Amino acid sequence: MYAQFFGSYLLGRDLITTDQLNKAISRLSDSRIRLGTLAMHEGLMTPAEVNEVCYMQTREDKRFGEIAVEREYLTQEQVDSLLKSQNPDFLLLGQNLVDLGAITNSQLEEYLRDYQDETGIDDMGSEDNSKTEKIVGAFFAGVRPIDRNIIMYVNLLFNDLVRFIGDDFTPMEPSVVKSVDCEFGITQKISGQARMSTGLIMEKETAVRFASRYAKMRFDEFDEYVMASAEDFLNLHNGLFCVNISNESSVELSLDPPVREEKSNITFSQSTYQIPIDYTFGKVTLLVSSEK
Amino acid sequence: MGSNLKVLIGDDSILARKQLGDFIKTVSPDTEIDEAADGEEAVKKYREFHPDITFLDIVMPKMDGISAVRQIMEYDEDADIVIVSSLGTQSQLKAAIEAGAEDFVQKPFSYDQIRRVIKNHLRED
Repeated sequence: MYAQFFGSYLLGRDLITTDQLNKAISRLSDSRIRLGTLAMHEGLMTPAEVNEVCYMQTREDKRFGEIAVEREYLTQEQVDSLLKSQNPDFLLLGQNLVDLGAITNSQLEEYLRDYQDETGIDDMGSEDNSKTEKIVGAFFAGVRPIDRNIIMYVNLLFNDLVRFIGDDFTPMEPSVVKSVDCEFGITQKISGQARMSTGLIMEKETAVRFASRYAKMRFDEFDEYVMASAEDFLNLHNGLFCVNISNESSVELSLDPPVREEKSNITFSQSTYQIPIDYTFGKVTLLVSSEK
Repeated sequence: MGSNLKVLIGDDSILARKQLGDFIKTVSPDTEIDEAADGEEAVKKYREFHPDITFLDIVMPKMDGISAVRQIMEYDEDADIVIVSSLGTQSQLKAAIEAGAEDFVQKPFSYDQIRRVIKNHLRED
């Protein structure tokens, strides 16, 4: 999930364009992290050294690792270790942006360092809940202080989007709203020892693509199955959230049946967080509030 | 695994009913399937259809799945009911079993879980 937030960070600071980000994201599943990118991120090579070795590869029929060892930028043990390491998705995104000419290797190193400073996450080599919750907390920093339930909810939602819809999205800056217009949406209340209102809204055309991904079926038009798919996703996610809360803090929650909205203005009894999520196929907006 | 199995699926989602029904048909092609979109309809259909196995979601309009389990069990104490829901909290699991459900499958379910339910039922027969 670091890739999605790192992309949002770069976009929010106008370091890249939406078009560049979308292109880099859509290449994620076809891309493979390169040894030079890994070595740079591990602090084993400088951007200048990586560029030099890449240049030499165009002149010699040798692998990156071979040239790097010959020039004593890396040892063979370091090459072997890097090749065995995991491929963090945020590095892959950064590499894709470099390949597109959107940023340079030096800029990638600088932006990653700044991002780590801002989020307070030193080691982005692995994802776990505490780290991704930190990132989500930082994501809401510009809005207002929010309670932990919202952070946990949004953290899980992004994980469920990756799991059930796909990882080719960028979360955009959240805002606070009292009402919102929608062409199509699903809302659902969570009740019990904590009370939350949740919703997903999107254009109908986006809903068709969202549903196709979720159901793993091809839908060509906005119909009952498309609406049911969006409902199912929100209901499934909310159910999983309730289970997590119950397991973590023995707080019992229940769900009201989901409600469909079409061409309507949804108003909220309290201020609600609105988080636009830009998928490569369209925008999906999450709505969530928590009663104090 | 052919048999004239009768299965009732109660879920307010047309997609969920289709996905579960399609899979049951691949496991047991001769299965007769009926559907209900809410708990009230599930109870009514149970009395009319007399299924061998009933799959019920929890979160449904008009009557939730746990209440539907209780009513079906009052009508038929031998009813074979499996809850299939994303709301797999400890309290819901306890309520489902206390109401009389045989099993609880957490969504998203795996096809192996559903296959196991069908196989277990056929083995008992």
